[in-house]
Amino acid sequence: MSEAAIFTEGLSKSFGAQTAVAELSLRIQTGAVYGFLGRNGAGKTTTMRILLGLLRPTKGSARVLGLDPTRETELMRILERVAFVSQRKQLYGWATPAELVHMNRPYFPRWSDEAAARLAQRLEIPMKTAFKKLSIGNQSKVALLLALAQEAEVLILDEPTAGLDPVMVDEILRTLIEDHISQGRTIFVSSHQMSEVEQICDWVGILEEGRLLLESRLEEIRQEFRLVIAAGEGLQVASSPDVVSATSDGRFRRYVVAREAERFAAELRGQGAAILEVSRLSLRELFVHLVRKEDPCTPGNAGAKAAPVSSFS
Amino acid sequence: MYAWKCWRESRARFIFLLTLYGASALLVTLLPGFHAQGGWWHFDRSEYTRDPAPLVQQVSAVVLSGLGMCGFLAALFLGATASGSEIEPGTIEYLWTRPRPRSSLTWTHWGISLAEMVIVAVVPTYLAAAVLGTLTGTWNLQLLLVAPWMMVIVGLPILGLTTLMTALRRSASGALIYTVAVISVYVIVRQLVTVPLHLNVPPLFAGPVIWLVHNIQLSPSAFPWGSFWRALFLAAAFPLAAQYLLKRAEV
Repeated sequence: MSEAAIFTEGLSKSFGAQTAVAELSLRIQTGAVYGFLGRNGAGKTTTMRILLGLLRPTKGSARVLGLDPTRETELMRILERVAFVSQRKQLYGWATPAELVHMNRPYFPRWSDEAAARLAQRLEIPMKTAFKKLSIGNQSKVALLLALAQEAEVLILDEPTAGLDPVMVDEILRTLIEDHISQGRTIFVSSHQMSEVEQICDWVGILEEGRLLLESRLEEIRQEFRLVIAAGEGLQVASSPDVVSATSDGRFRRYVVAREAERFAAELRGQGAAILEVSRLSLRELFVHLVRKEDPCTPGNAGAKAAPVSSFS
Repeated sequence: MYAWKCWRESRARFIFLLTLYGASALLVTLLPGFHAQGGWWHFDRSEYTRDPAPLVQQVSAVVLSGLGMCGFLAALFLGATASGSEIEPGTIEYLWTRPRPRSSLTWTHWGISLAEMVIVAVVPTYLAAAVLGTLTGTWNLQLLLVAPWMMVIVGLPILGLTTLMTALRRSASGALIYTVAVISVYVIVRQLVTVPLHLNVPPLFAGPVIWLVHNIQLSPSAFPWGSFWRALFLAAAFPLAAQYLLKRAEV
């Protein structure tokens, strides 16, 4: 098995009594484009910060390109090979994008002036205007330019397109596909824009309250995952390990099934349920079903908070 | 490159302080030659050549007293500007994801601040010395030549303290306020303890400047070596503590 570009094992991070990331185990292969999804506060940014040495894990371990970000010498080697776009995208207000390019160049051995110039033109960035005078959209574009011109082996992007108009989002996604994904670079991206994730990612991980609810190939989600809606009384929860989520709404039960949905539906029919729908799920629908706080149809536990997938498997 | 960035962020305060002290030093040096005559100011160089020795001593003492706080203020403002602006939330995340050890970033800040502090202390004083020497024809100006280095020595612990406060407070203005507060509390407590009890406690680290002010003849035997070494110790200890804190800081 080839070495993972990003690897975490039992990774946890707590801030006082609050747990931001809990026992997170990820294995992102080199060349993968991994969409890291979750609601606000799910632990995505914390995970990324641990990978970049900005935070130290409370428990567990992390590796980026086989290197440990908690050791300074290894962290320096990681940072030379990894590009990061922060959620906040705050850079020196007095500096123009041209000056920021000039300042960044010496840090990165693979820096490409040609890529920086091309991106500046393509993203229509005013290179001679002070950063603080740029619109939020243009500030985001500058942050992206600085990351992409590094020609890094791994891109860690924390909501990279926030604040950008749809034309620019499209331009950035095309840039990512043409200049980075096509060259086999690893991308680890968090976003709330499911359509963007569907456009570029081949893997997705859904995080909720610091725990990984689901990790799957996007293709598998498209091909295999189904929503099964059933009506009936006293239906059993997930007798099948393929059920990744089950919620109840009055008499109706909604099951997200990872594979063999028809067989599962037949099982429910056997329990006396009426199957109302067996349908494909978009990534957005899957995400909403997994993280929405609804009444789970756990037997004898009606009204409790939705449990993570592991409870059903 | 990072040094340039530090310089770029602190240059406005640096130029302001240099201009302020340079103009003050020049004014103090030239003032004895100016006389009001018929509603106009006239410059009379003979004032400088008539009896140069006392004039040199007098001007040196005024320059020294005027610039006495120079090292302190330069350290305070330049130190807080250089590292503080970086610690503010936002840009620190950007900076700490560049492949440079945090300690090298801390010491680059410190180095640029020190260089600016030395220039702010040396240039105005040596400018005054050059003008005074030219006008009087006397180059017996040891007091002015030694003064800026004493100011720098006394300014070093303040620069270190500002760097440490920046790491603790994570903000430029916070560092400035807390440095002033720490120094003020120290001075007040010291006065409250030493004055009523008639204690003769040597200055913690300001000895070299006090020695300069009270020993215009620059008697080496009275040099406060204890204060000097304490100043150097604190100058190193504070930034090292800041480095320790920043190395472990999480953002």
